[in-house]
Amino acid sequence: MSLRLVRIDDRLIHGQVVAVWLRALGAKRIVIVDDATAGDEFLREVLALAAPQGVPVEVWDVAGGAARCLELVGDPEPVLVLARSPRTILGLRQAGVPIEVVDLGGMGAGPGRRRLHKTISASEDELRELRELEQLGTRVEIQIVVDDRPIPFRSLDSGN
Amino acid sequence: MFRKSATIGAGLALIALLAAFAPTTVFGASSDPTAVLTPHTINVSIWQAALIALGYYLANSPWLFGLAFFTLYRPLVAGFFVGLILGDPAQGTLIGAAINIPYLGFISAGGTLPADAGLAGWVGTTVALASGLDPTKAIPIAFGLGMLGTVIFYSRMALDSVFAHWVDARAEKADISGVAFMNVVPGQLFLFAVSFVPVFLLALNGPAAVQDVLNRLPLWAVNGLVIAGGILPAIGIALNMRFIFRGAAIPYFFIGFILMTATHQSMSLVVIAALGLALAYLHLTFVRPSAIPAAVGTALAAAPEPAAVSAGPAPELRVRLTRGDLIRSWVLWTFFAHANYSYERLQGTGFAHAMTPIIRRLYTTPDEIRAALKRHLVFFNTEPNFGNVVHGTIIAMEEQRANGAPIDDDAINSVKSGLMGPMAGIGDTLSQSTITPILLALGIGIAGGSASGSVVPQLTGTTGNPLGAILYMVLVSIVIVAIGYTAWMQGYARGKSFVTDILRSGAIDRVLIGAGVLGNMVLGALAAKFVVVNLAPTVTIAGAQLNLQAAIIDPLFPGALGLGLVVMTWWLLRRISPLALLTIYLVFAILAAYPFFGPGQKDSGDYSYGACTSSLLHQYSPCGAPPASTPTPAATPAATP
Repeated sequence: MSLRLVRIDDRLIHGQVVAVWLRALGAKRIVIVDDATAGDEFLREVLALAAPQGVPVEVWDVAGGAARCLELVGDPEPVLVLARSPRTILGLRQAGVPIEVVDLGGMGAGPGRRRLHKTISASEDELRELRELEQLGTRVEIQIVVDDRPIPFRSLDSGN
Repeated sequence: MFRKSATIGAGLALIALLAAFAPTTVFGASSDPTAVLTPHTINVSIWQAALIALGYYLANSPWLFGLAFFTLYRPLVAGFFVGLILGDPAQGTLIGAAINIPYLGFISAGGTLPADAGLAGWVGTTVALASGLDPTKAIPIAFGLGMLGTVIFYSRMALDSVFAHWVDARAEKADISGVAFMNVVPGQLFLFAVSFVPVFLLALNGPAAVQDVLNRLPLWAVNGLVIAGGILPAIGIALNMRFIFRGAAIPYFFIGFILMTATHQSMSLVVIAALGLALAYLHLTFVRPSAIPAAVGTALAAAPEPAAVSAGPAPELRVRLTRGDLIRSWVLWTFFAHANYSYERLQGTGFAHAMTPIIRRLYTTPDEIRAALKRHLVFFNTEPNFGNVVHGTIIAMEEQRANGAPIDDDAINSVKSGLMGPMAGIGDTLSQSTITPILLALGIGIAGGSASGSVVPQLTGTTGNPLGAILYMVLVSIVIVAIGYTAWMQGYARGKSFVTDILRSGAIDRVLIGAGVLGNMVLGALAAKFVVVNLAPTVTIAGAQLNLQAAIIDPLFPGALGLGLVVMTWWLLRRISPLALLTIYLVFAILAAYPFFGPGQKDSGDYSYGACTSSLLHQYSPCGAPPASTPTPAATPAATP
């Protein structure tokens, strides 16, 4: 199992990811799965260049990302998978990518979004998708940085 | 599960390793060159306590041009100011430096705070200075305070979410000044209340309470705190090593360490840093001519330039921003980015506040103003200095939009939300995990480096050097402001192409690689200076009593145990959380001071050979060879008139 961390984070690559998670996990590759980002040339380049030297960044849409993740699962090299929304992870899961745990690392607040914990908010649709992920056997946990104790999504989700 | 068992396993292994030396212990009699004098104490007056509490508030506030987080918040600087307030800046700086070492790897990213380094610095220094504790004892006490302090930060993050809605209400009324007011005043009033009151009470009553506790503790346990003060710095150094102790830069850590031990801790950190700079230049020239950025650059160079949105303002614009607008906006951001830092929006309200001069210039109707304010009140977070390229780019986009360019909310939002993360990644790596710790290490080294070339660790020396704190403050402020201003103005002038140009050029990678070389040298030197492990037991070889530390380890490789501890801590931190490791080290240090193998100390001045060799580890210095009947006071802070 080399998908060391599968994380939902609407800022994708940023301080917590680069300065904290990447180093702590010793990941050697970042795979970003997001349809909108995959279609944006500028963002693709910025993300590729924002990662530390020697850590390649791949940006895929959901279909391509699922195929790539399946390929990487068997590889011993530790990989960090980032997505912006639960829908993407659900897509990967439904395409057969074995994801044991998904980490909610950053989901910003906004109109129509309920705060679950600190900087983690979710819309009704997202809550439904997260529950669906749990039903498919993927544990959903909140762990913003590596030194935090993981909090099970189930314990915060009152709507179920 | 794995973490927990690894934690316990590692702790047991460490204890077993050290306990293995136990059976060989024999006793002797002689005296040690170090002794403790009656502590010099200071009564903290109400005014002094109020000033200290104000200092802690300022350390968390926006009022110092946003630089408080890099200056007053750091224990080194806090120690200097507490010393100034209590009348002993030299000793205050020394204590602050000691307290700062475990926080060398301190990073606060995206609304998380591992520990409140500010509270540790302000209250820790006050307590230690006022009750005449030596700096090593202050380290574990301050670290405990730092754990408590996170409550203040998190309560503020929670309540600021409420204030964010007050900002929304002003935006709804198209009230530009109201947005600015609500971003600053409610949050700051609350912050003042939650930070001033507890620190005022702690500063007033803490010293007596801590002294009371210390008086009740058995002497060996108090010695254990000093031993902990020599061990805990390994955690701070190792936390920082997580960022820079990698690849080709690793040897420089050992070079720094050996330079320091080989000169009996007497080499100036400034000299080591200068050498580090020279080596960084050589390293960049000969070891790695930045292969990867070049490759990425050429691979992507063929990609078409992003749309015209990124170009600077064209000359025929109807409404133009002046240079003054840009500077006002930058100043507002630099001051107030974190004035109302909330879980819900993070820097969102600060972003809208910074946009007020731009909105005033570009938009006139209430509808336009309302829409613009609301557009910039959404969730936002980036590193507030290098990340300013985002603001610059957005300001250029707003200017074009106001002049009729077809830029909708989505276009602006997607640039903001797409860029803020990557820029924070680069910015945090630069400012928080590279520039700040290196300059801090330098400042700490200077602050604790006034004593001459004695083998007694410098932290137990009599005075510190306030220049360490002052130099750090000045250097870090210049660097941070320069980065922030440049990023803001370049982001405006060149937009997205500035981002891609600077990333493609590989300049940031070169800075990080060079800083890695320099940082490892300084960190290695710091480890040699401040991580202290002295084995107390003696062994009998061929009829001669030999102290393990003084007679066996030191002649072979001085500081070997400290070095081993630091590298082991670095390795353990990949598996165990810093907090768990800290607890293990603290318990271990106190146990290691228990007089298992002898009579123990009778009073705080009893450094007889028998007392010294009675525990696993010994504080201050090795239980040297024999006699010297007149102990020299090296372990007590000096009383400044």
